[in-house]
Amino acid sequence: MSDPLLRVDDVYKSYGDEDVLKGISFEMDRGDVEVLVGPSGSGKSTLLRCVNRLTEVDSGDVYLDGECVTAPEADVNALRREVGMVFQDFNLFAHLSALENITLGLKHVRGFDDAKARERGHEHLERVGLAAQAESYPAELSGGQKQRVGIARALAMDPKLMLFDEPTSALDPELVGEVTSVMRELAEEGMTMLVVTHEMGFASEAASRMMFLDDGRLVERGPPEQLFRNPQHERTERFLERITRLHGEIE
Amino acid sequence: MTSATTSVVLQSSDWAYVLENADILFEGTVETIKLTVLAMVLGFLAGFPAGAAEVYGSPWIRKPVWAAGVGLRATPILVILVFLFFVAPFATSAFVAAVIGLGFRSAAYQAQMFRGALQSVDEGQMEAARSVGMTRFQAIRRVIVPQALRRSIPGFQNEFTIVLKDTSIAIILGISELLGVTEDLFLQSGRSGAALELILAASLVYFVLTVTTNRGIEYLGEVYEIPSGEST
Repeated sequence: MSDPLLRVDDVYKSYGDEDVLKGISFEMDRGDVEVLVGPSGSGKSTLLRCVNRLTEVDSGDVYLDGECVTAPEADVNALRREVGMVFQDFNLFAHLSALENITLGLKHVRGFDDAKARERGHEHLERVGLAAQAESYPAELSGGQKQRVGIARALAMDPKLMLFDEPTSALDPELVGEVTSVMRELAEEGMTMLVVTHEMGFASEAASRMMFLDDGRLVERGPPEQLFRNPQHERTERFLERITRLHGEIE
Repeated sequence: MTSATTSVVLQSSDWAYVLENADILFEGTVETIKLTVLAMVLGFLAGFPAGAAEVYGSPWIRKPVWAAGVGLRATPILVILVFLFFVAPFATSAFVAAVIGLGFRSAAYQAQMFRGALQSVDEGQMEAARSVGMTRFQAIRRVIVPQALRRSIPGFQNEFTIVLKDTSIAIILGISELLGVTEDLFLQSGRSGAALELILAASLVYFVLTVTTNRGIEYLGEVYEIPSGEST
């Protein structure tokens, strides 16, 4: 258990002339809930996507559970089975019902038979409060419901780590709460979570740590109280002040 | 001499001739349907993988597929059919030549249709599928293709209509499809006066076939429509 669950080691990424990540290193233990904040274009999403290799790093390494997942011989599909991802735009499979969105991966990646996949699918829909919506299609669901299906889809795969890429940014304000409350429960249950969000209420309550990313660099990292009350860098202070004014109170 | 044109051209005796030969016209219609269906099936079987190859294939696959498509789309169908019939060793009969020619030409158009449909599926769908650990092939097969096929239905409807009417070009190879038998009937001695009636009758058959197949494909689209909750 001494191994960190996730270790990101000196990761660099650029798109053409634009350096997006300039040497990011950090570690997360099991059960950590880490909230990643930073101005738009600071590289938050890119960093998240480097963890499950939706984006390939230019240099540096990512280790999951002691295994180097950025190694050329690493099995990217095996990695992704262990890392759930929740997207800003939900990305639910548009042609499948809520239940089928969950069972697709269970059947074709986890190798579940249909009955077992459906059973597990129903369990996870219930967990996010959508038992009644099993047969609904994405276009029939509200944004908040879609995102909860998105979370259930990722959770059903039984991941070691969950990545959230601005899970509430595409939602109407009144729908944010139903998604963050599911995420809070998940955090309380001990799921390891790396979350890009501007929901400072969620950060201050649920995060074990916060990271402030600016211009491709990790500026500051620590418990949320420290970043909110006693930031070490002026940039952190200014950013958090601004974002808190926009996105909810700290409790 | 009053109203000479119409009374001379459309005559009840000529309509009677059309009806007398309804069985021949029916056989021609069957031939037309066979050609259309076989060409469309071949067009789908070759066109769908070709479209997918243009989107997902490596350059080594993409380039030849693209070149074949351009070649087929740039060549008049008449030239394709004559070439196959007289030159290609595998076209063992006029019918086979017609099916292959119409089929591969349709494949070239269907490939473009499917290429567009595959590319129109949001990139996030692929990312979501990959993020749960599906392989690229699984993601294409289970997530992208089912959505792309639904979006192809209007284009497919169009293509079906075009191929149906283009089967009449097989007349050049002496195939007894609908237009071929129609021509045979009015070329019989003393029956040239019935040409217009015969062609009108054939046109009516094409019209009915077009409307019914279009309606059929539309129905298919409704059956497989993704519920959006906007209607009802």
